[in-house]
Amino acid sequence: MSDPTTPARPVPPSSVVLVSGGSRGLGLAIVTDLLDSGLKVAAFARTVTPELAKLADAHPERTHVGSVDVTDLAAAQAFVRAAEERLGPIDGLVNNAAVGQDSLHVHTATADIARIIETNLTAPLQLTRLAVRRMLAQGRRGRIVNITSICAQRGFPGLVAYSATKGGMDAATRSLARELGGRVLVNAVAPGFFASEMSAVLGQTQLDQIVRRTPTGQLTEPEEVVPVVRLLLRDQTNINGQVIVVDGAASI
Amino acid sequence: MKELSRAQIRDLMGEVLKNQGKALPADDAADLREVGFRSLDFSELALRVEDATGEELNFDAPGLRRIATVGDVLDFLVELQRQ
Repeated sequence: MSDPTTPARPVPPSSVVLVSGGSRGLGLAIVTDLLDSGLKVAAFARTVTPELAKLADAHPERTHVGSVDVTDLAAAQAFVRAAEERLGPIDGLVNNAAVGQDSLHVHTATADIARIIETNLTAPLQLTRLAVRRMLAQGRRGRIVNITSICAQRGFPGLVAYSATKGGMDAATRSLARELGGRVLVNAVAPGFFASEMSAVLGQTQLDQIVRRTPTGQLTEPEEVVPVVRLLLRDQTNINGQVIVVDGAASI
Repeated sequence: MKELSRAQIRDLMGEVLKNQGKALPADDAADLREVGFRSLDFSELALRVEDATGEELNFDAPGLRRIATVGDVLDFLVELQRQ
């Protein structure tokens, strides 16, 4: 079976978006922004924080939240089914859930390497498969945004396994965009280091060094990444299979 | 295990194409490129068969490369259900 190149219909803006890891940090900021933009949002995380619960209470008709470990595929499937029953078919996915790392590779336990890979690479690939299967089975189009990291493109000590998973997701982003033939737009957003919990893995000396080398003179804030995620989910841009770096040019 | 007949799969294939404003020819020898049935449409059809039978259908890409006609699609999915 060979596919001729035919002009495809544009992928419509997402209206029901599934966000993994939506309880704090960037994930919470994404959920907040999408709700403020009038979208319906299904968000899960290992723990539903008071902040996420408050959002759900404020928008009960447009929000579905739950406590799900992204590595628990059965639980994720059940969550997606329940979310679709409540909000309608999911046509947007933000793979945001991830665990960080703060250990030199030679001192990272084998079990911890496996856990990082399972959470940051295997689980989002499985969740993506689940979401795309539902989109295709119902003849729908959709959009996927993978939250990766500047670590996928630049080296940082103490983040070897983490970087490998983020690089893996960048690569998967490109292949998925090809494979899904414009029916589902797939992109990645790679933030620089946040002055937040994920950046706690870097020492103050490293953070100061990154700030000095950043033309904008500041670390990235979640609020600066959110508009890019929204653009990829909502706007008609023909951006597909790309990794968009948001780091104030620290990495150039 | 519930299994869809060739005719039932043909009906589903017609629905996939109809959703895109295309028509499924009666002739099984019709070329998929002329019909406008792409590999993602095949995926959609396979998922519809899965939905109807409750059985997951997984297959490798090389098997798909031999598929060129409407009849090939139907034969492939009938055979896949039996594996």
